[in-house]
Amino acid sequence: MLTVRFLAMSAVIEIDGLRKTFRTLRGGARVALDGFDMTVEAGQVHGFLGPNGSGKTTTLRALLGLVHADAGRMAVLGRQAPAELPAVAGRVGAIVESPQFFGNFTGRRTLRLLATAGGVPHERVEEVLDQVGLRDRGDERVKGYSLGMKQRLAVASALLKQPELLILDEPANGLDPAGIREMRDLMRDLAAANVTVLVSSHILAEIQLICDHVTIISRGRRVLSGPVSEVLSGFDKGEYRVRVAEHERAAEVIRGAGLPVTVHDDHFVVGDLADPAWVSETLGGQGMWIRELTPLTPDLESVFLQLTGTEPEPGTHKQVDDAVRPGAEHDLSVTVVEGEAK
Amino acid sequence: MNLVRAELSRLLARRFTQLMLILLVGSFVVTIATMVGSSHRPTAAEWERAEIQVVQEESRQEQMRELCESGQGTTDFCQTLSERKPRLEDYLFGVFVFEREIGNLVYFMVAFVALFGFLVAASFVGAELNSGGMTNLLLWRPQRLTVLGTKLGTLLASVLAVAVVATVGYIASFWVIAQVNGLPGDVDAEFWGDLAMLVVRGLLLVLGAAALGFCLATLGRHTAAAMGVVAGYAIVWEVGARIVMEVVEAGRTETYMLSTYLGAWMGGRVTFYDGPCIGSFEDCSYSLTWAHGLIVLTALVAVVAVAAFANFRRRDLA
Ligand SMILES: Nc1ncnc2c1ncn2[C@@H]1O[C@H](COP(=O)(O)OP(=O)(O)O)[C@@H](O)[C@H]1O
Ligand SMILES: [Mg+2]
Repeated sequence: MLTVRFLAMSAVIEIDGLRKTFRTLRGGARVALDGFDMTVEAGQVHGFLGPNGSGKTTTLRALLGLVHADAGRMAVLGRQAPAELPAVAGRVGAIVESPQFFGNFTGRRTLRLLATAGGVPHERVEEVLDQVGLRDRGDERVKGYSLGMKQRLAVASALLKQPELLILDEPANGLDPAGIREMRDLMRDLAAANVTVLVSSHILAEIQLICDHVTIISRGRRVLSGPVSEVLSGFDKGEYRVRVAEHERAAEVIRGAGLPVTVHDDHFVVGDLADPAWVSETLGGQGMWIRELTPLTPDLESVFLQLTGTEPEPGTHKQVDDAVRPGAEHDLSVTVVEGEAK
Repeated sequence: MNLVRAELSRLLARRFTQLMLILLVGSFVVTIATMVGSSHRPTAAEWERAEIQVVQEESRQEQMRELCESGQGTTDFCQTLSERKPRLEDYLFGVFVFEREIGNLVYFMVAFVALFGFLVAASFVGAELNSGGMTNLLLWRPQRLTVLGTKLGTLLASVLAVAVVATVGYIASFWVIAQVNGLPGDVDAEFWGDLAMLVVRGLLLVLGAAALGFCLATLGRHTAAAMGVVAGYAIVWEVGARIVMEVVEAGRTETYMLSTYLGAWMGGRVTFYDGPCIGSFEDCSYSLTWAHGLIVLTALVAVVAVAAFANFRRRDLA
């Protein structure tokens, strides 16, 4: 089983040193991608995380041939992109940033036209409409759809050709909680059916729930990539939150033992803790009885905020371009966990 | 082939296309109805009066001819004399004479269908670029030139089909009016040949207008861009520059105007008098023929089309 899985692993998406600078008519230039790398292996549900404006959409657009990259090498399903995209387009389903549809057409008609253009049998249209929950609304004009319904229609259009690779840019955009859950289930089903999924999002909890691998981007560069579990354990600093009556005195005691301690209003956090029992023992020995001792396991959100430098700070309003540029002011390369598939 | 089918249904499903088709048909119906209302079969009395007037005119011309032969009268006048045989239709008023009037009516129709082609073409590509329809299609067919080319080809074929049907219907309607409520006039083989050539030139013009609208909207990424360019050209060049050239007395102003080539193409030949000037009319005038029109207009469409396709091939799509 392990061998088979290993053999089945081949890169479905490879991006190497991708660069893109948008130039405006007034001569302005905005660096959207600054040497970005990413690898997605077959069978992964790969999360593509980054703050607003970090270059996720630009990456996907470049990969799909909608935007011309200035430099870099890309391959999709083993073919060079964008030059050889026509050869694999039939195996790749994609939605890129809130897709727009022709308002006067019904949902069903929109899909039929795409199916016609792509040589997909029309029965498939009914299947995907059903799959995304639009079966009964398929004969209404797209104009009258809610944002979430349009998003579903977009996903339906991506599923139409039964893709091996599904690329979804912010699919949860505009979806209601039920829609988000359905989208999650849908992605799980697809993953189970061996479809490789690349899903971009800034909703971290979502990614953590559905993705097995993740690539984090900030200001056009990769900050980190790897299996979600490894990323999280890599950020596990063995921290515990401790609540105790005289928490400042208790913190002094722990600090005296050489452990890093941060004191907060009504508790303190201790790091590098191998065995929490040591804290209760030590403090108990001094007559201080612990009320709470909670491990602070990192979630993707804190990793993300920390890596991209977008963690809110009291009293400041972070601007979209305040995100960290990897390898620049803050060198984050030390924390990069390269995604070596195990 | 699938792409053509998809493009065709997109084109036909567009509200704008449908609206323009209705306007086109509506304007033709109004024109034809007006003609039906304003024409009648000549009465016996009218025939009689016309016959008398023809005889009178013939004898007047006979006198003139004698005058010319005896060496009196200007040469210009004498030259045109023989071409002006008086005809019955000249003296029948309120009677639609097919042979006389169909030419101008076809001009009107071509102008209308060309405008139709231009607007439908511009909005077809403009709306698709803006609605993301093009992006969607390119995700399915990542071949930009093929996709844009198919779109243009489908559009031109559709516009041509509409234009052909419109032309045939239009001319046939007037032919019927002439038979029922007017006069066909002197319709010989030469007349039909000329009319056919006019129609062919008109259809080519319609195709050119549609291609131009399509390519301008592609370049400008917007339906309005195509209309803006045409309006801008008309105001800045055809009006503004013409005034400037006349003030500085630049010679042969009309050779710099696209409208001239349009007229030359449709009319076969246009002649302008470049005064003030001393000498005969020939010395002071210049002509442009349909061939000039063909070259200039084809070059214009070709340049814009190449620019549009080249730009679209490399462009970043939203
Ligand atoms: N067409 C464009 N013209 C100019 N700048 C652009 C364009 N598209 C994206 N950008 C810029 O590139 C950066 C990355 O954008 P994008 O890839 O859309 O970010 P994300 O999808 O991660 O939110 C942003 O700073 C954005 O302003
Ligand atoms: Mg985006």
